[in-house]
Order: sequence, then structure tokens, then C-alpha cells
Amino acid sequence: MSARGAPSYSPYSGIEERVMQEDGAGPASRSVLGADSRRQDGRLPEECRPAFLQVGTVSRAAGSAYAEFASTKVLVAVYGPRESRKAAAYSDTSRLTCDVKLAAFATKSRGKYGQGTAERELSDLLHKALVSAVRLDTFPKASVDVFALVLESGGADLAVVVTAASLALADAGIEMLDMVAATSLSLVGGHLLVDPAASEERAQDGNVLVALMPARNEVTQMHLAGAWPDTHAAQAIELCLDGCHKLDGEMRACLREHAATANGS
Amino acid sequence: MEYVSPEGLRLDGRRPKEVRQLKCELAVLHRADGSAYLEMGNTKVLATVYGPHEVSQRSQSLHDRALVHCEYSMATFSTGERRRRPKGDRRSVELSLVIRQSMEAAILTHLLPRTQIDIYVQVLQADGGTRAACINAATLALADAGVPMRDLVASCAAGYLNGTPLLDLNYVEDSAGGPDLTVALLPKAEKVTLLQMDSKLPLDTFEAVLGLAMDGCKAIAAHMRQALLEHTRKQAVVRGPVRL
Amino acid sequence: MPGLSAAELSFLEGGIAQDLRNDGRGREDFRSFSIQLDVISQASGSARVRLGATDILASIKAELGSPPAEFPHLGRLELAVEISPTAGPEFEGRGGEELSAELGKALERSFAGGANGTGAAVDLAALSVVEGKTCWVLYADVLVLNADGNILDASAIGIKAALSNTRIPKVEVLAGEGDEEGELELNDDPDECARVSTAAVPLIVTLTKVGRHYIADATGDEEAQMSSALSVAVNEKGQLCGVTKRGSAGIDPSVISDMLSVARRIGKRLLAKVDAEISLAESRLESET
Repeated sequence: MSARGAPSYSPYSGIEERVMQEDGAGPASRSVLGADSRRQDGRLPEECRPAFLQVGTVSRAAGSAYAEFASTKVLVAVYGPRESRKAAAYSDTSRLTCDVKLAAFATKSRGKYGQGTAERELSDLLHKALVSAVRLDTFPKASVDVFALVLESGGADLAVVVTAASLALADAGIEMLDMVAATSLSLVGGHLLVDPAASEERAQDGNVLVALMPARNEVTQMHLAGAWPDTHAAQAIELCLDGCHKLDGEMRACLREHAATANGS
Repeated sequence: MEYVSPEGLRLDGRRPKEVRQLKCELAVLHRADGSAYLEMGNTKVLATVYGPHEVSQRSQSLHDRALVHCEYSMATFSTGERRRRPKGDRRSVELSLVIRQSMEAAILTHLLPRTQIDIYVQVLQADGGTRAACINAATLALADAGVPMRDLVASCAAGYLNGTPLLDLNYVEDSAGGPDLTVALLPKAEKVTLLQMDSKLPLDTFEAVLGLAMDGCKAIAAHMRQALLEHTRKQAVVRGPVRL
Repeated sequence: MPGLSAAELSFLEGGIAQDLRNDGRGREDFRSFSIQLDVISQASGSARVRLGATDILASIKAELGSPPAEFPHLGRLELAVEISPTAGPEFEGRGGEELSAELGKALERSFAGGANGTGAAVDLAALSVVEGKTCWVLYADVLVLNADGNILDASAIGIKAALSNTRIPKVEVLAGEGDEEGELELNDDPDECARVSTAAVPLIVTLTKVGRHYIADATGDEEAQMSSALSVAVNEKGQLCGVTKRGSAGIDPSVISDMLSVARRIGKRLLAKVDAEISLAESRLESET
């Protein structure tokens, strides 16, 4: 799989071009798979996009990560553990706050200023995906703040945000039970498309997102929408879990590489 | 528009000095300390009471009397057009205050120092006279919770349309733009705890309308007392005879 | 919810482990429920559902609005949950907002289908009036009057019942002159109104994990004990229509697939039971009028 095989960002020129063409064509067409049973960006249905992951991108933050899955680009910064601003009373666990912002230029139509419902919902879902992995009991009274900025929304945004946020937390040295890797999947005309691009998401009949702690083999967050026939749902969840495990390898490699360069310098 | 026909009948078939059909049920929700469901015609209201309990924000605690707290909310589907905001708008805040003040007049708050009583009123369907219906439901819920009160508070609205004083306006009559007078009364002492009116009325007519509203309150109070008595009797039967 | 003591909690958990819960139910049993139809006259359709002590009102209001920009040939279904402070002092002011947003989102995931409207609970294309201009918007509002656990499943039952009771006025489009837009004429005659097909409307089965076991239809006390929960929407065809994981603890993937198949099995029984209760409520309504 290309995501697995790509140790770093591979400018897969074919992808970008064809996605751009499709975006220009307006509402997505239903023919998502070509005659060679490949997707519009040349991937196989169960193939993830090439992932480029990098940690330590924001120097001021305690930890940060940048993730690029083809045209989906996300930057996450983690601050803390630091004094909790909101906490009114003593609490023996800490607080994890998550804030996801969509850059005004992230989508085709320019976004509005201020937190919209979409951003609030993404923030909430990110919190739910991470909170069971972070060991909040290890730093009482404090708070850890996760800020995610979606620079370009190119499909499977939430999954990329969760993945990058977990990397940033690891970079910040926050104690976690495990990394959290997330993969989403779209059901389009009976086909299961792993790690969907924006054009595929627009045409979807349903979608699944699974966030997994791969080493512990525990699902931290999962949701599914749309009507799914029996076998499809189970298969979709399997595919997502598989995607999470592969992404996990990628994430660990990225952290190891970062640690090695930090030691070397 | 004609609100009273030449035969002396209103749009919904009532006579000018007639209240709408009143239906009360007590102890409708089991988690609350007291609850009541009240229908005045098509206006349907649910009220619950929690407490007296410990004051949740200690700084608000009053050393010589109970803290009465009230929140009014309207269901999104209670009005003809769907409401976007069920609570928190200015009208809801004002109504919460009005209900709280008329209840505080009746509750023997000095018997319950350093406690808090929560009254929550939920409008399920609004067809005029929600103010009065909410106050009536809140009294019944307080009575069901066993909160000590001077008397039941009964409330009723009255208006003046087509040269006729009308009792207990419904939504169509309420939105006709005429004066709308809401009164809450402690019926035994004949003390008015709430008096509100919009629009204008000549002084001599005002007295007639006020008198009508007070009569309405008394009729409603009698009905509520009856419902309360029946409910208590029913409970006594359920619990069986008291052996001494 | 008043807190339970450690002894009460372990008693509760022990009962669940032995498949005998505090109210005598097995792990997969629902509490008995009742449905009452047409309770709000200002709504296009409404229902009151009492599931044990959980008490909710569901209302469907049909209003004319504009269709979604990307899908001009569809109507809209908007879902929302509101928790009345009558259900407890903790829901006063903005207290219920977080929970109601979470529940509303879970309902949306189960009822609204995919982005293009396939798999939605009601046929959204049938709600279109003038393509790209006007459509029916069905506002499904749930009001929680009393909360004793499993609000989500009760809400789904309520929405299904309210939809079965919904009547949408007939609209006639009068041709406009020249470039002018046609006018709409509403026909409110109850005999002329369109009904909504509820065949595809799913129900939600929430399985709550307590200790090593999971239970259906948890009460408020049992929910206080939950580590995590999986809400699964199932329709008549046995399709999964939405899954939402709630609670903070992680679940093993193999347990998830177990839970999904158990939920589907319970869902099938529940669908039959709810349909029977709805037709019972309908006949009761008819005999009243």
C-alpha cells in the first residue's frame, strides 16, 4: 500500500491533477470507480492516500505535528500541561481541551470567522477520540490544550486531525496509554472506499470512522452513518481497523525519525 | 373582526365570562419532588418542583429564608411556527421572574432558611394565557411537593374586546391587540400577587375587567383545590387505612 | 442523578454479571413502554413515549423551506433533542446543552443517511416541492420530560411514532406569468394530506457496557456505571443505519462486532414491538374521536 510504502512525502503528481479536475466539475458524479476498478485519483478502493507526517513543526508549542494526506493538510499544536484557566475547583484529573479550526481558505467556499457548528462538532469528536488514550490522572489540576488547524480540507478531515493530534501529544511528551490512529471510509454506490477524498465524500451514501489505540487494540471512537447492508458494515470496520494499524506504523516511524535527528544534532 | 357574536358567543363558543376547560393532573413525573400537568383549553403546561434542598451555589444562600428559583422554557413545537430558541430569550427571562415572584408571595419561605426550591415550568403547547397557566401549574407542583404555602396562587387573564370584558383569552383573542390583563391571586386572603396589563383601558372599565379576572382566579382556585383534594384522597386509598 | 454508594454499585454490577438486573430484567431486555399519538395539536405529527420512567415527547413539524444547496431535488429532515429542566436541576439553563448536542448528533447520524440523502429514514426526494426553490423541511424535535436512562432509544421510538402520525398538507404550484415565479397553494384538508412512509425509519438500540458485560436499555442508575456505550440504529431490512460510540473508555474491536450483531437481533424484536404499539395507539386514537 502506498501509505505504508511512502516513508516521507511522495509528490504523487497524478493525484493532485486528477482531483483538481474533478473538483472543477461541480457536484460529484456517481461513477467513482473507473473501468480498471481504480478510483479517480488512481488508488485501489482499499488503498490509503500517501501520508506525510512530521512532528515538531511549531517551535513555540510543547508538541506539534503536521499531517498531509494528499490534499488534506492539517497542523496541530499542543500546549501544556499548564495551569487550567477554566478550572474553578480542585480536580484530581486534568482537563483535555480540543479546538479544531477550519482555515478560511480550507474549503472551496470561503469560511466564516468564528467557530461554526462544523468546527464545534469536529472539536467534540476529536476530544472523544483522544480522551480515553491520554492519562489525565498523571497531571492533576492542569490542562492540556490541543489546537488543530485544517489548512486544506481534502476529505477524511477528522481522521487526519485525530492522527496528527495524537502525534502532537506524543511530541509534547504527554503520557498516553497508546497512540490513536484514525481512518475513515466512504460507502459510494456499493463500493467501500478507504480514506476518501473530498470528491468521494460528497458522493457518499454513508461513512464510517474508527479511531483505534493499535497496540492495546481498543477502539476509542467510532461512528457510522447511512444505511449499511449487513456484510458491508463488518467489512468496512475491518478495513478501517486495518488502515489504523498501517497508519500506526507510519506514525511510530515518524516519531522515531524525529527522535533520532534530535539526538544527532 | 368580530370577537363576540350578536348572540353573545366567542370564537371558540364560550360566553364572555367563561374560562376554558381546566384539566389538572398531579404527580406526573416520578423523579421530581412535586409535579403537575395543567391544561387550560389548548394551552398545555408541565411544572416540576425540586426541593427544598441544599443551596447549590453557597454564596446565594439566604440565612433567614428559602431561595426560590424558577426557569421557564417553551418547547420548540409549542407554537404555530417552530421556535428556534426554547429558552433564554428576554420573554422567558421575564416570565421566569414573574412566576418566581408570585410563588414567593405564597411560599412560607421563612420556615425553610438556607434551602433552595427549584421550579421548572415547561410549556408544551401555547394557545394564549401561558402566563396564567404556568402560575397555576407551578402552585399545584409546589403543593404536590409539600412545600408550605399561605394559600394556592390562582391566576387568570382577562381582556376587553368589542366593548365586552372577556375572561381567559385564547391565542386569537390575545393577538387581537386589545388590553390583556393577567392577575394572580391568593384567593383566601383576596390579595393580588401579580397584576400586569398591556395596551390601555379607561379606569372604570379597568375595574370591571379586573373584577372579572379576579372572579376567574377564584373559579380556577376552587377547581385546583378540588383536584388537589381528589389526588390526596386517591393517594390515601393507595396507601391504605391509617392504623393508630 | 443522586450518586450511588459503593455497595449499591457493586450490587448493580453483580446483578448484571448474573443476568438478573435490579428490576428483574435480563441483560438484553427492554423495559415496557407505552406510546400515545397526536398529543400536540400544533404539530404535524406527535407522540409521547414512556420507556420505564423515561418520558419524552416527539414532534414533527413540516414547514416550507429551501432545499440543501448541493442537492436541489431533496427535502430536509432536521433533528434536535432538548432536555427540559423538568427532568432535573442539572439540565437548567445551559446545563443540558452538551448532552442534547450529543444526542441530536447521534439521531442525525441514524436518521439523515448519507450526504446525498440515500439511506435516510424518510424519502427526502418526496419532500421536494419546487426543485431548487422550495421543499418541505421536517423538523423532528424531541423534548425530554423525565430522564431515567436510555433517552436515545426512547427518542428514536418517539420519532418513528410521530412520523407515522404525521400529515403533510398538499401543495399545489400555480403557474406564474412569464418570468414570475409560481405561487404555492396549501391544502390543509386532513383527508387530502400526504402521509409519511415509516417503513425505512430505524430504531436505535443502545448497548451499555458495565464491567465486562453489556446491557440493553440501561436505567439512569445503570448509566451512571457505564464505561462506554454503543448506540446502533437498525431498520426493517436489518441494515445498520448509524453507529455512535459514547462514553470515554475504549472497546475491543471484537467486542464491537459482537455488540453490533446483538444490537441487530434486539433491534428486530424491538421493531416488531414498536410497530404493534403504534398500531395499538392508532386504534386507541380512532376510538376516541
